[in-house]
Amino acid sequence: MICPLEIPENAQVLIDYGTRKLDSERTATLERHMEHCPSCRKFVVEQRALWEAMDNWEAPPVSRDFDRRLYARVEREVSVWEMLARPFRPLLVRQGLPVAAAACLLVFAGVLIDQPPGSPVAPQKDVAQVESVQPEQVEQALDAMEMLSEFSHHVRSEGQESKL
Amino acid sequence: MGGAAAALDFDAELMLRVKEGDGASFGVLLEKHRSSVVHFLYRMIQNHAVAEELAQEVFLRVYRSRSTYEPTAKFTTWLFRIATHLALNALRDGKNERSQERLDDDSSDMPVRQVSDRRPSVEQSLVYQAKLDEIRRAIAALPEKQRAAVLMHKYEEMEYSQIAKVLACSESAVKSLLFRAYETLRARLAHMA
Repeated sequence: MICPLEIPENAQVLIDYGTRKLDSERTATLERHMEHCPSCRKFVVEQRALWEAMDNWEAPPVSRDFDRRLYARVEREVSVWEMLARPFRPLLVRQGLPVAAAACLLVFAGVLIDQPPGSPVAPQKDVAQVESVQPEQVEQALDAMEMLSEFSHHVRSEGQESKL
Repeated sequence: MGGAAAALDFDAELMLRVKEGDGASFGVLLEKHRSSVVHFLYRMIQNHAVAEELAQEVFLRVYRSRSTYEPTAKFTTWLFRIATHLALNALRDGKNERSQERLDDDSSDMPVRQVSDRRPSVEQSLVYQAKLDEIRRAIAALPEKQRAAVLMHKYEEMEYSQIAKVLACSESAVKSLLFRAYETLRARLAHMA
């Protein structure tokens, strides 16, 4: 067996040996190697001593009110969500309202789509009225011109008759 | 391994019950994992009050995620992933500054351990506390990821594969992290052997 300490990727086998995670076959192979490898023996002894020292480091017990504080936070969180959702709850609960709201939205959207682009709005009404008056004025002007033309034609024919 | 598989099923099953609105199952999960999460965070942060505060956040996040929970990984992997994430963030935010400054004073948190059947003498207690402080300082001096890997390996007895999932790295990276971390600790604490 090649010394595990000579190959960094294999060195973990010594830690696994210390935690008894190696199977019996690999344990036996490593133990045979360690019989004549002082470096590996030293590694295992030091690693075990380290773990023993680390065992002394006990964490303090969890506070007695840990659960109470946690549940209070959970409760507070649930309450906040309920408070936020409260105004929308009646809308969500009553089945008729969502349908009515959807219908209103559809009607409103329909009205918006139906309106032609640039449709007259209040200030443009005066302009439209001016535009509707103008043809009448033109018509009157044409009538007047026709009358004048007839009149001049009539005057001219009357003058020719008087010459004769 | 069979036991681990059974534990996976049981914890995941409990969490699925929490998802369905069973608050009592959340209580069972809390009872089962409360100590390990608090202790892991305590050893990471080295301040009891901050560790408990972070542990509360861990369980609160578990509760918040109940509706989207899917048992894709072992429950404890997920739990320690949240805990490690919060601990690393807290360390980076300098939330533990107070604990680092008060490392000596903080020993009042520690349970008094008897070194023999008889009550320890003042001298024995002082030696014990000095050794303990050295261990804590040595672990606190490790890079964050090495520290998390050592704590999960030594105190939570997690498999390499699980530590790898918690730290989001490969198994070989975990082995390398652990080897370097233990090497540093052995060198620092060699005189204690």
